[in-house]
Amino acid sequence: MRVHVDVEKCTGHARCWSLAPEVYELDDLGYNVTPLKDVPPELEEAARKGALACPELAITIEE
Amino acid sequence: MTDQTRTPVVDFDVFASNTLAANNAAWEAVRTECPVGWTQHNGGHWVISGYEAVAEAFRSWEVFSSARPNPEYASITISNSRIPPLIPEELDPPEWHPVRRILAGQLSPGAAERLRPRARHWARRCIDEVIETGRCELVTGLAFPVPAAVTLEWLGFPESDWEAMAHAFHDPSAHPNGSPEHRRAFAAFAAVTARVAEEVALRTRSPRDDALTAIVQSEIEGERIPSELAEALVFMTIGGGVDTTSALSAAALWHLHAFPEDRARLLAEPELLEPATEEFLRFYPPARTHARTVTQDVEFAGCPMHAGDRVLLSEIAAGRDHEAFPDADRFVIDRFPNRHLSFGAGIHRCPGSHLARITFTEIMREVLDRIPDYRIVDAEVVEYPNWSMIGGWANLPAVFTPGPRLG
Repeated sequence: MRVHVDVEKCTGHARCWSLAPEVYELDDLGYNVTPLKDVPPELEEAARKGALACPELAITIEE
Repeated sequence: MTDQTRTPVVDFDVFASNTLAANNAAWEAVRTECPVGWTQHNGGHWVISGYEAVAEAFRSWEVFSSARPNPEYASITISNSRIPPLIPEELDPPEWHPVRRILAGQLSPGAAERLRPRARHWARRCIDEVIETGRCELVTGLAFPVPAAVTLEWLGFPESDWEAMAHAFHDPSAHPNGSPEHRRAFAAFAAVTARVAEEVALRTRSPRDDALTAIVQSEIEGERIPSELAEALVFMTIGGGVDTTSALSAAALWHLHAFPEDRARLLAEPELLEPATEEFLRFYPPARTHARTVTQDVEFAGCPMHAGDRVLLSEIAAGRDHEAFPDADRFVIDRFPNRHLSFGAGIHRCPGSHLARITFTEIMREVLDRIPDYRIVDAEVVEYPNWSMIGGWANLPAVFTPGPRLG
């Protein structure tokens, strides 16, 4: 699984980070700066939850 | 501002429904009839109530501006309030961007997490004050003072300022227009802005380790920000921090009294407070509406909008949209996903949202741990007199089994 964050859409709700801090990285202002990233199997469920929680629909998951 | 080109027309007056139940019902009716429409009430404005349309309008700052068309009046409410500028909320890019960075840095998730012990401290202290008596006024004794203390202590105001400052922001929402408290609150605004200016000047001369100093010392393009901008940012931070988290906490305390099955589940499964926080936000958004101004002639959701038209976006109606939330009228304590718009969306997303969630969580944990059997005296409950913008409770007197102080 890979996660892709459209950083242009991120407005810093930080819901993804709150639900999956090991997957999603924030900058000092709280905006998502996760590059296209491979997700290890044990974090897949958290990564999915983080993506689903985004109010800006900024995160896509490639299974 | 009314002509036949602004259609469809809805008969909707946001100030007409002055209880939680009536205001919710009015929003349900207008959203069901017409998720985007024009009302002739209150000077004429668009009413956007469907989830997708509200989210899109919040995100489209180029079309739906937050800037003041008239510098005298707040742009983000439909009521033409004469209050100091709300910065950065009432700025559009490019001016918005460097100013927002200042607040975002001060209120980032990490910065907010460092304030959790202070939120816990103040919540614990408020419960300590009442726990031996078995009685508490849950708004004036807990939901109102804790967010105020967290915000004003973090900024660095002396404790002697807190009560007057907090009341200046709480009382206009909590008391009816024309009441002595309401009149006093508007006079108190002048005192608050004067105290903000004094403390900003003081931090400029003698910096301390507090958020006031960090704001005063912040820079835009390598230059220290002007003192008027620092004052505006501090004023906005107090306004954003004081009576919003209190309204959410009051709502949750009222809800857990009115719906014992939800309280029982939270007591049995404390980890549900995380999703429950989002559901409280969806079901009882403290800021129920925000206004914007159309910048250009545009067709939005099939409606012909004109430059200069005022627009009312409804967080409460969006949160109850059945297209966006299955079983939207039911409070589902573990609802997921829950992409409510109660902190807004787009660039103006509430920068205090992280601290709000933390302060709310600490208040609720303290209540659930220490006075889990509280019962609100229904006959003495007082709702805010107006649910058009900020919705909450002025009084929630409660009784509970007494317990020991911790402090």
